[in-house]
Amino acid sequence: MMCGHAKELIAASWTGEIDAAAESKLKQHLSGCAECSAEMTQLTAMWDRLADLPAPEPSHALNVRWESTLESLVSARRQNQWRFSLSALWPQRPVWQVSIAVGCLAVGLAVGSLAHRVGGAARSDEAHTEIAALREEIASTKQMVALSLLQQQSATERLRGVDYSQRMPAMEPDVVSALIAAVNNDSNVNVRLAAIDALSKVSGDPGVRTSLAQSLNGQQSPLVQAALIDYVVDAHDRKAVSALKQFAEKPDLNPLVRERADMAMRQLTQYK
Amino acid sequence: MAAVARGNLASMSEIYQRRHRALYRFFFRLTGRQATAEDLVHEVFLRMIRYRHTYQSGDGFEAWMYRIARNALADQAKKHRLETPAEEGQFEVIDGGGPSPYDTLAKQQDLALLHRALRELPEDKRELIVLSRFQCLTYEQIGRIVGCETGTVKVRVFRAMKEMGRIFMDLQKEKAS
Repeated sequence: MMCGHAKELIAASWTGEIDAAAESKLKQHLSGCAECSAEMTQLTAMWDRLADLPAPEPSHALNVRWESTLESLVSARRQNQWRFSLSALWPQRPVWQVSIAVGCLAVGLAVGSLAHRVGGAARSDEAHTEIAALREEIASTKQMVALSLLQQQSATERLRGVDYSQRMPAMEPDVVSALIAAVNNDSNVNVRLAAIDALSKVSGDPGVRTSLAQSLNGQQSPLVQAALIDYVVDAHDRKAVSALKQFAEKPDLNPLVRERADMAMRQLTQYK
Repeated sequence: MAAVARGNLASMSEIYQRRHRALYRFFFRLTGRQATAEDLVHEVFLRMIRYRHTYQSGDGFEAWMYRIARNALADQAKKHRLETPAEEGQFEVIDGGGPSPYDTLAKQQDLALLHRALRELPEDKRELIVLSRFQCLTYEQIGRIVGCETGTVKVRVFRAMKEMGRIFMDLQKEKAS
């Protein structure tokens, strides 16, 4: 045995990686080689003494740090697995991808259209009913306000009441009666004039026309008299000619008003 | 490790419990620094997870783990220019909670000199002694780790021990004079 091979066997003897045959060969070599024998003795003693060096221990902080790291890695891995399982459902072939996308779009459109039809009709009926109810409520409120204002002591408030009634889309009989009463009885000329203007919306009503024609004889203000004459002319109320004739015969009548009443009678007699 | 390689990362906890002390001692004996050794242990277990697909059961877990450990140490040395271990006096003492083991070593002069001789060995030789004597790896395993034949490892370990013996003798003479 060469010394080189003996060194290998010496190293193997330190870790016990030597079989009986090799150990025997080594002993045989060492018995005849002083140098190898001395090295074997010295280095084996040193090898054995190395076992006495203390074994360092890691700190507890390392365990805490690693456990925290591992926990976050495991958690992230679970999330990735979930994402992976979802993505795995998506086909790889573009043909299937396009087919699924078109299918989803078609289903979405169909469901949306159906929902719109079913829900839309129901919602439309409900909306119309609600709007009609609201409108009725608003009209009722306006009428109430107008009637209330026409009963106020203040002429300004009564004028506001006339203005309110004029804004109403359809003038209710109660409001018409209140306005005719204002024309006949209100102490303020401006309120009476405003009421005559407001009643022009219902000039088609024969009852209103007759009431205003009869009101002509009771009026003292030339302005109101003139406004009433204009009203019957604009309403083409031929039945008012007799009332105008009676009115024009009044002795204390303003000449301008008389002249206007004569003109009105001529106009009305021309209407067929 | 096969379970980890299949994606069961929780199994890494058991591997850590079994191996982290051995890895720590490996790094501490090579770097002489506790914080560096702990950083490297953490890094090795992270790399084991990252490169788990490279693990082959036939090759042996120890060899695979120490190959990763050597690469981590080389990268760390490159990063921090830690080409040599801690210089004399920079090796940290091991905190055992009671009297320092190195205090005990001071009383056992020849053991203290032996420890110093080990530290003064070139890194590649110290690594071979650490792997074979302290990490209790077979020469065949060390051969797979460092990438050479088993016989070559035996010869290199013998030479490393012989050089450490020479340093030890020099230190004894220095102390005697």
